Amino acid sequence: MSAGNKASAGGTGNDYLWDGSGQPDPEIQRLETLLRGYQHSGSTPEFPLVAQGRRWAFWPRMGLIPRLAAVAAAVVVVAAVGVIVRGRKVIPAVLTGWNVTQVAGTPRVGAKAMGANEGSGQLAEGQTLETDEGSQAHLTALETGEIEVDPGTRLRMERAGTGFRRLVLDRGTIHAWIWAAPGKFVVDTPWARAVDLGCAYTLHVDDSGAGLLRTSRGWVGFQSNGHESFIPAGAACATRPRIGPGTPYFENAPQALRAALARFDFADSTAEQRTDDLNIVLAESHKTDALTLWHLLARADESQRARVFDRLAALAPPPAGVTREGILHLDRAMLDRWWNELGFDDIAVWRHWEQEWAGK
Amino acid sequence: MRMAAEAGDRLDWFGARSGSRAVKEGSASDARDDALLVESAKAGDRAAFGLLYERYARMVHGVLAARVPMGDADDLVQDVFVMALRRLSSLRDAARFGGWLAAIARNRANDYHRHSVNAVEWSEELPVSERESGSMSNPTGAGAAGEAAKVLSAIRSLPDAYKETLILRLVEGMTGPEIAARTGLTPGSVRVNLHRGMQQLRERLERTPAGSEGQQERSSS
Repeated sequence: MSAGNKASAGGTGNDYLWDGSGQPDPEIQRLETLLRGYQHSGSTPEFPLVAQGRRWAFWPRMGLIPRLAAVAAAVVVVAAVGVIVRGRKVIPAVLTGWNVTQVAGTPRVGAKAMGANEGSGQLAEGQTLETDEGSQAHLTALETGEIEVDPGTRLRMERAGTGFRRLVLDRGTIHAWIWAAPGKFVVDTPWARAVDLGCAYTLHVDDSGAGLLRTSRGWVGFQSNGHESFIPAGAACATRPRIGPGTPYFENAPQALRAALARFDFADSTAEQRTDDLNIVLAESHKTDALTLWHLLARADESQRARVFDRLAALAPPPAGVTREGILHLDRAMLDRWWNELGFDDIAVWRHWEQEWAGK
Repeated sequence: MRMAAEAGDRLDWFGARSGSRAVKEGSASDARDDALLVESAKAGDRAAFGLLYERYARMVHGVLAARVPMGDADDLVQDVFVMALRRLSSLRDAARFGGWLAAIARNRANDYHRHSVNAVEWSEELPVSERESGSMSNPTGAGAAGEAAKVLSAIRSLPDAYKETLILRLVEGMTGPEIAARTGLTPGSVRVNLHRGMQQLRERLERTPAGSEGQQERSSS
């Protein structure tokens, strides 16, 4: 099996597991053959009619003159309406609340308890959803996504701009599956803001305000007071009171790296201790930990940054035009270009969000 | 948790950057085509929705199969598409159809577990036609079916991100670029999930004594 392992781990345009190219991996071929019987094989079913299709159905049955008359009438109506509303301020559409479904126990929306008999309701702007230790709830917003709310959670819906949604997680745990466009949905925690960038994730906040975000699909941005953390699938990021988000890491990173990183981010350490912890992180890091090292470039102090650069450059060389000097001066354009080379996602999505949410 | 410490065994998904770009370009073209189909389907074009079904049914089946018994996954595929059809008007960005549909499938699987009365352990059997056809690599159909069930169980015991991607690759026969295009995940994420998932699967299969299929555990989803 070790031979096959090496073949599949190659990944330099010769990667059977990725796209079937290169030397076939016998072990993967065996599994493909073995599991083929489970493959989907159904034919396309008949789907019901979609109502919107009837909207223009009357046109073909009308003659030319009636059509022209209808168009003329429509123009008159539109002009009249235009005159009436001219000068009035246009009120933009605002997204409605979340549909709430009781899953277990008696979740509360405001003062209203939701039992098994009245198991659904709405979470509107300014309202709070609370689950006690025996309660769970499910939130749905068709154009945004779905959220599972675990026991012991307090969640508020707050005002956001047109087309945007904002929840505040005071404490507890939520599991979010979001299909809104990236950047349209955020969850504020006491010490950081989680920004959906097209993803599924779990967010937990304890009673002290400390939190943990774990991404299972896509990626999430975590932001507070100028600190930015990007958390792709398989990675996690903690947040602490008065500090904000820490450095993200892959959850299967070595335990020694994770422990040293937690101390580096959050412990009340001396300069020497921080240097020791950074040394552990650098020594334990491998290619996939480029995620962590890229973030450390902006978090390490100037005396440490060069070593972080060297380690990251050894694992994932910077693209052309990204220089050591530029990175040591935290040139944002260069940092962004290097990030884009790491293969996670395009940081332009995040920069666009920053502009959209400025002042919100 | 990290299994392999040696650099040689570690993932090399940074190494294929030029390939990743090609994948992104292909995905963008796919997304444009799908967006047109979605807009047509929104306008009531059933044929367009049928084409979307043909393109995405394997992905939906794989997402479900990572979480529910195979027999039920087959039934739930149509369920997911009917739900999608009903909600289609709420999908604002047609280019994100794949990720949106995958989320519906995952939620449908969650609902399956939430409302399932029979919270008992379930086992997997290959479709009768497959067992009878003798098309498995092992000519003794029953032995191959048992081994397939064991492998499937091992895949389902992996973390969510890995098991779904591996089922799409190994069961549904999709390539990494296809998985990315259909699920809305980035090629980088899919690549990581495939390689890390495969690494963990190999380790789990090596740990499991040969021939000890045992009972299949309920997948935690």
